[in-house]
Amino acid sequence: MTLMDALPTPRLRWEGRHPNIVLVSFSCIMLAAFWVFDVVSMAPNRIVLGTGHGALEAFGWPGALLVTLLLACIGILAWQPSHRHYRALLAAVVFIMALMPVGLMASSYLLIDPELPQARLGIGAAYWLVLFVLLLCLVELRLRLNLTRIWPTLLLCGVALVWWLCAAFGLGALALVQEFRARDQQFLSAVGQHIKLVSIAVSVSIVLGLALAMLMRRYARLQKGAFAVLNFLQTIPSLALFGLLLAPLAWLAANVPFLGQLGVSGIGTTPALIALIAYSLLPIVRNTYTALEQVSPDTLEAAKGMGMRAGQRFWQVRLPLALPVLLEGVRITTVQAVGLTAVAALIGAGGLGTFIFQGLGQAAMDMVLLGALPILMMALVVDAGLGALAEALRPGGTR
Amino acid sequence: METRVNNSLSVAQPHTKAPQWLWPLMWGALLLGSVTVMSAAEPLFRWIEPDARQVIYERTELYVLLGRHLFVVGIAAVVTIIVGVAAGIAVTRRWGSDFLPLVAQLASLGQTFPPVAVLALAVPVLGFGTLPIIVALMLYGLLPIVRNTLAGLQGVEDDIKTAAHAMGMTPRQILRQVELPLAAPVILAGIRTSVTINIATAALGATVGASNLGDPIISGIVNGNMAYVAQGALTIALLALTIDSLFEVLQRQLRTCFSAS
Repeated sequence: MTLMDALPTPRLRWEGRHPNIVLVSFSCIMLAAFWVFDVVSMAPNRIVLGTGHGALEAFGWPGALLVTLLLACIGILAWQPSHRHYRALLAAVVFIMALMPVGLMASSYLLIDPELPQARLGIGAAYWLVLFVLLLCLVELRLRLNLTRIWPTLLLCGVALVWWLCAAFGLGALALVQEFRARDQQFLSAVGQHIKLVSIAVSVSIVLGLALAMLMRRYARLQKGAFAVLNFLQTIPSLALFGLLLAPLAWLAANVPFLGQLGVSGIGTTPALIALIAYSLLPIVRNTYTALEQVSPDTLEAAKGMGMRAGQRFWQVRLPLALPVLLEGVRITTVQAVGLTAVAALIGAGGLGTFIFQGLGQAAMDMVLLGALPILMMALVVDAGLGALAEALRPGGTR
Repeated sequence: METRVNNSLSVAQPHTKAPQWLWPLMWGALLLGSVTVMSAAEPLFRWIEPDARQVIYERTELYVLLGRHLFVVGIAAVVTIIVGVAAGIAVTRRWGSDFLPLVAQLASLGQTFPPVAVLALAVPVLGFGTLPIIVALMLYGLLPIVRNTLAGLQGVEDDIKTAAHAMGMTPRQILRQVELPLAAPVILAGIRTSVTINIATAALGATVGASNLGDPIISGIVNGNMAYVAQGALTIALLALTIDSLFEVLQRQLRTCFSAS
């Protein structure tokens, strides 16, 4: 008998199935949000601030009742959760998500006056809240059902496809779609530029970071100094670093013609890339260094005993064992770079941040969303993708 | 035991070594110097930007901007610390354990949400001004604190808690006198991450109409005046370094307290 058993411990409240409080409260939150906040907003044109509309006006009686039933259904199923109920809940959550653009179509049919071609439909607070809580439900269900990361990602991709189809064919009145249609070429090239900046910065810093980590392993004295410098760099705010790079680079471009011809200038891609690489180095170097150092000496000793040469030991034993932690560093770096690249738009590097800052400047909130939502999605996709890769590469048995 | 643990929580220890305070004092002095007598460096900025009509940012005094910056970061920090630590404690108690997997998962998402995107999403809901930046900072700063609170509380060994239980401590006493003091270094590290990031992120507030140290930078970028940018960037960098080195000292003090007791 252990010590814990000997002590009086309070008895568990319900044996077996007790309500999943998390999902029940989420269901209540969504119901409250749906009835309290504005579901959609309607504006006669781009400049005027929209007027909010509640659930009844947006969907009509039958629609509002249907949504209420669906949301309540989540709470009811979660009251007596079994494995089957959790599966049904997953289906319900995905179904509601897929149904969301249909709701917007309904409200654009109900609210938008066909006489006003400029009229546009904004997505209200209730919509965002319900979407956010549904995503939380998905995370909770993934944990309860013990699914791997890949399943919710696939389901969300399916949902995204449905949204895309709806947006392309039936949601012409939605403000977000109108903003996109007004500058679709610009949007696509911004996405391209964003991805280009992130991938260049991350790949350069992987190479530099690996080299630096190797050097640190060889010359112990370098380690302390290098980490101090990198930590210092990480403390400097991104906006400040972007700003501080402007002056010296502009000076270099003006006074060293060779560099100017190479495309170095105070404003634009070069300072952005330098700052991005500077920020990306710390997580990469830190994780690479820890990853290479944490490989157990016993394993290396065994490899040596098997007659492996130093090079073989590194490439066939140390590196594969270090790979998951190393990839973790790449994941953190890439996610961080996706966000920082948005700030780089301020110094003329392009990318999706352009839409955010232009939209903020013109007080056009839908344009801000057009920039912010893809950045958010990109960060989540990178996070999920590289996380799944690191999980898959983990040597068997250590999970 | 009780007195010892209480001692270890008090920050000002009589036997601190002076060099610990060297860095924060130095950065702090540089920061104060830069916000009060920036105009003394006019020749330097004139050299950076010889053609500009004006090289010292004078629309608002730098120390006013510094105060506003600290105000925004401070409010966000107080709220996030209270909410984050409370949430971390709540989900590790028996009655809140239903929420533990979800909260742990969310906290591990950590910095996945880019601050610019969070800020941009806060503006349509809250309008322009100081409010959206405070809310964005709260949302953004919450996750590191929750993550570290969870890690700290879960890192306390079960044997220690069992021993405390066996000594007749109530769950409340265990939390206050055993778990929290043991988790304090990890929680403090989370607070440090959160506050340092928020100092940097708050500067972005200048793009949504909140007046703070980001102002000179944005105005300099817009007008092509590098001297403004340098002044704003320098001040923010010094502020970040001051606060970061302060936390460094706090962490070291906490550590020495534990090794001493």
